[in-house]
Amino acid sequence: MADGHAKPNHDYHLVNPSPWPLVGSIAAFITAVGAIMWMKSLALFGIKMGGYLFIAGFIGILYVMLSWWSDVVHEAETGDHTRVVQISHRYGMILFIASEVMFFVAWFWAFFDASLFFNETIQAARVEFTGGHWPPQGTEVFNPWQLPLLNTLILLTSGTTVTWAHHGLLHNDRSALTKGLILTVLLGAIFTCVQAYEYAHAPFGFKGSIYGATFFMATGFHGFHVLVGTIFLLVCLLRANKGQFTPKQHLGFEFAAWYWHFVDVVWLFLFACIYVWGNWNGTIATHH
Amino acid sequence: MKAKRPVGVVGAMTLMKQSLSVASGRKTLVSKTSVGLMTLMASISGMTDSVYAQIVGRGFDNQMGLIPGVTPIAHEIDFFHNDILLPIITVISLFVLGLLIYVMVKFNEKANPTPSKTTHHTGLEVAWTVIPVLILVVIAIPSFRLLSHQLTLPDADITLKATGKQWYWSYSYPKSGEVAAFEFDSNILDQAALPAGKLRLLDVDYEAVVPVNKTVRLQVTADAVGVIHSFVIQSFGVRLDAVPGRLNETWFKAEKEGVYYGQCSKICGKDHAFMPIVFRVVSEDKYKEWLAKTSKEFAANSSSIQFADADASALRQ
Amino acid sequence: MATNATAHHHDHDHSHDDHHNPTGWRRYLYSTNHKDIGTLYLYFAVIAGVIGFIMSVAIRLELQNPGIQIFPTISSWMAGDNSIDAAKNLYNVFITGHGVIMIFFMVMPALIGGFGNWFVPLMIGAPDMAFPRMNNISFWLLPASFMLLVLSMFVEGAPGMTGFGGGWVMYPPLSSNTGHPGPAMDFVILSLHLAGASSILGAINFITTIFNMRAPGMTMHKMPLFAWSVLITAFLLVLSLPVLAGAITMLLTDRNFGTAFYDPSGGGDPILFQHLFWFFGHPEVYILILPGFGIISHIVSTFSRKPVFGYLGMAYAMVAIGAVGFIVWAHHMYTVGLSLNTQRYFVFATMVIAVPTGVKIFSWIATMWGGSISFRLPMLWAIGFIFLFTVGGVTGVVLANAGVDRALHETYYVVAHFHYVLSLGAVFSVFAAFYYWFPKMTGYMYNETIGKAHFWLMFLGVNLTFFPQHFLGLAGMPRRYIDYPDAYTTWNNISSIGSEITVVSVILFFYVVFDAFSKKRVAGNNPWGVGATTLEWTLSSPPPFHCYETLPRITGSDH
Repeated sequence: MADGHAKPNHDYHLVNPSPWPLVGSIAAFITAVGAIMWMKSLALFGIKMGGYLFIAGFIGILYVMLSWWSDVVHEAETGDHTRVVQISHRYGMILFIASEVMFFVAWFWAFFDASLFFNETIQAARVEFTGGHWPPQGTEVFNPWQLPLLNTLILLTSGTTVTWAHHGLLHNDRSALTKGLILTVLLGAIFTCVQAYEYAHAPFGFKGSIYGATFFMATGFHGFHVLVGTIFLLVCLLRANKGQFTPKQHLGFEFAAWYWHFVDVVWLFLFACIYVWGNWNGTIATHH
Repeated sequence: MKAKRPVGVVGAMTLMKQSLSVASGRKTLVSKTSVGLMTLMASISGMTDSVYAQIVGRGFDNQMGLIPGVTPIAHEIDFFHNDILLPIITVISLFVLGLLIYVMVKFNEKANPTPSKTTHHTGLEVAWTVIPVLILVVIAIPSFRLLSHQLTLPDADITLKATGKQWYWSYSYPKSGEVAAFEFDSNILDQAALPAGKLRLLDVDYEAVVPVNKTVRLQVTADAVGVIHSFVIQSFGVRLDAVPGRLNETWFKAEKEGVYYGQCSKICGKDHAFMPIVFRVVSEDKYKEWLAKTSKEFAANSSSIQFADADASALRQ
Repeated sequence: MATNATAHHHDHDHSHDDHHNPTGWRRYLYSTNHKDIGTLYLYFAVIAGVIGFIMSVAIRLELQNPGIQIFPTISSWMAGDNSIDAAKNLYNVFITGHGVIMIFFMVMPALIGGFGNWFVPLMIGAPDMAFPRMNNISFWLLPASFMLLVLSMFVEGAPGMTGFGGGWVMYPPLSSNTGHPGPAMDFVILSLHLAGASSILGAINFITTIFNMRAPGMTMHKMPLFAWSVLITAFLLVLSLPVLAGAITMLLTDRNFGTAFYDPSGGGDPILFQHLFWFFGHPEVYILILPGFGIISHIVSTFSRKPVFGYLGMAYAMVAIGAVGFIVWAHHMYTVGLSLNTQRYFVFATMVIAVPTGVKIFSWIATMWGGSISFRLPMLWAIGFIFLFTVGGVTGVVLANAGVDRALHETYYVVAHFHYVLSLGAVFSVFAAFYYWFPKMTGYMYNETIGKAHFWLMFLGVNLTFFPQHFLGLAGMPRRYIDYPDAYTTWNNISSIGSEITVVSVILFFYVVFDAFSKKRVAGNNPWGVGATTLEWTLSSPPPFHCYETLPRITGSDH
């Protein structure tokens, strides 16, 4: 244990009291209030402070994340993460990813609700909108075999580079670890840039159409996960450069890799369902 | 708007006495011999057709059962609930209560100071899995039959449409023979100036009218830019949500002339409780008379009434 | 269960420094101790429960007589507007608030956060939760979430009116800009986001703790049923809450960024929200009741002085209920216009749930059978639970049949049904657990006679409140109505009197707690005798700040 009190007769990690949970939830509260005030242009004491509150709260959340996880890294480095504690962390990460999967289930549900039942007579208004057609009449869509396919290849490649890095870590080949991580982070960044380019040239919008809504919500949420995963891997790269991670203990790296593979698999579903299957009968936009 | 009912504990005692005396007036053995909640529960069945037979089409005071139905579907619901489900659940509840009382008497620490160590009995465990399954099968057979009857739309004699709005209903009648299509709004009466004989919260200015013994196909929807409402007339065995952008369909065939009430049953904002539904079932002749008169009255605002394709019903199969 | 547990517990002889064994406000605000966090959850649940309960009493007072009587007054207090329209709106806000508060801020924090935190680690012989610091943010997100909900009641919702009044189900378009363009609904959405995050993190913590931190020798098949019930509950939370979060996120973008997920004019579908909501909502009702199942099993066993009958059947019945709970959601939507085959499937799947539920009821009775039952206070609540849950269960079987649900959907029959399983089921299990574990948590014994008065008065009160509501539902009275036709007067009047009796019983409850803390009768390590076999009874009362510094070793065979 980090502090020098009597050591109990077990290997579990009894964490020291911490201010971060309380500070974190205060920050979350401020962010939420700020977001609403911002979206609704509300004023408090005559000042429209929503945007500032939101940003302040969000910075607070980031600060708590940084401090909290710094504490975790410190605890890992000082031996609190025994074998049994590491197993707990694995359970935790697996369950977190499981909950994320269910989050994506909601977006896919919305997508299939519209793309499978675009022509159900009982849904009179929807049929009027789609024209009995999916993608809805008048919607120009992306060609899945151009940039989306490129992005698929980029993500699949990044899956192999992160495995290369892992291999290097396991065999104490630090240079392979670093190179693998740099490549993965770069590929993730390229994916995000390509996605941003594609968004900027989208022939349909987020507003007003169920097609755009389901497309941007699902791919946008995924894009956010790519960003988080990239940062996660970048942190691993920085930690690796500081000499952290050993062939035997490197949960931070492992979880970043798991997360990255999860993001990768979600993309494959997005690509197959929304870009390929969903656009099958669509009018492909020409200006790309 | 204020109540005429007594308030407070004294009032409650009077009311309890009233309803218990109603219950003990019943001829079933259970209600004669026992008091309390179980009496009430056991005597729901059949209450409706004996005590308040004169009131049809809406709820009545001290009522303990379903509003009696006047359509084939509603009769089937009445039968399924009153003669199958209610007896089964009453018996199960009383059985569990009986078991609990038995173990409390027989196995309390005075009667049985030394507890047994039994924690398994395969026969019992199989029994209390299999017997409930059998009971559920008994329930499922009439349940699935009723469901099919409700959702399989027969050929209709007339089709009409109810549209839920904030906070009233509109009814549309299609063109029939010489009579032009028309649509009208049905609003709750001014509660502050309720005419004598009119029911508080239930009566409306313009009732919908349908002929007796005719199959009516009812399309239900909501204001395209509004919220969800739900159309219900319990005596018809009909309840269907009015969803913006959706055109739902159901049917009924009222067998008895009279006035039948319903109230919006999906929360829709502040006046959710103040948008009643009233259907008057009349003879064929009177219906035609009403149709001719009302279509003229509302001809002006009814130029663009749309009805769904009849094929919509095919989807429900 | 751990009937042969031999806990090598010894007195807490370590001298901890301040840093590790904190005092003062830091002890709770910065806590990483499962018992302290459990206590925080319980305090929170009591506060939220009182607010939710007061709202329900206001609703019952309003419905005591036909006409609109008290909500104009309440509205003038809360919004400075005593008009009838404001009163009608406020009534809807109250039924919404009552539902959300009782579900998310009373029952869940009490059963899972409170008793789960306190007793899952103690029962499985773990020194704490797997992630003690994350445990604390699970708690602290709740006050933040609750404050957002309370704020929503004081800002504009429907045009010109305050609060969100669309029911806890918050179906669009009533919850979208069509019905509630004001920020009140956005506050509700973000409140549920925070509550959801809290529950997901808590659930991950419980699953990890139970899988990875059971004492040596405690196999899954020796694990106490309460731990089983929390494990299954936690899985339901992890898998269902993100779907709700997704659903309300789409509602948020519909409201604020012009998307068309639930807007039919843009090709969206209001019914999509109902599917997503109930895919969460149905597991949610099992989340509320499953921990109660676990608690009742322990109490029945303890006071019958007999091990639980059919332990494995009990555990796997809960697994079955949890699993089937994910595939029955559309039975809440029989009237939206689902096809015949869809309704057939959901009728079938829903009725299946009656079987494992029956197994549980009969196994509890079989546990009592042949036992040596002492009618101590927790046992009264447990027996009350078994019978009232049965009544709520059988009306559930009635409602499962789409054909007859056509007559009862959205009526007071449904209100009666879910209050029998929740208000009389889950809440009775909360009180059962409270009276069962209060001596362990505090070290003090309460006055059992006043406690029994609390039980009987509450039993009378809630039955009088909810039983007549079956009749109202059969007679067609719709729910969420501020005023009703005169024909429904009698049963409404009786129902409200039941609610007033319940008020007295709740006051008695607080007196019991006050009395116990002021008299300080010492409870002893195990006030319940030889029937109480789980590990927490081997500890002192209250248990030391850190338990099991030497892990207990569980011997004996599997079930």
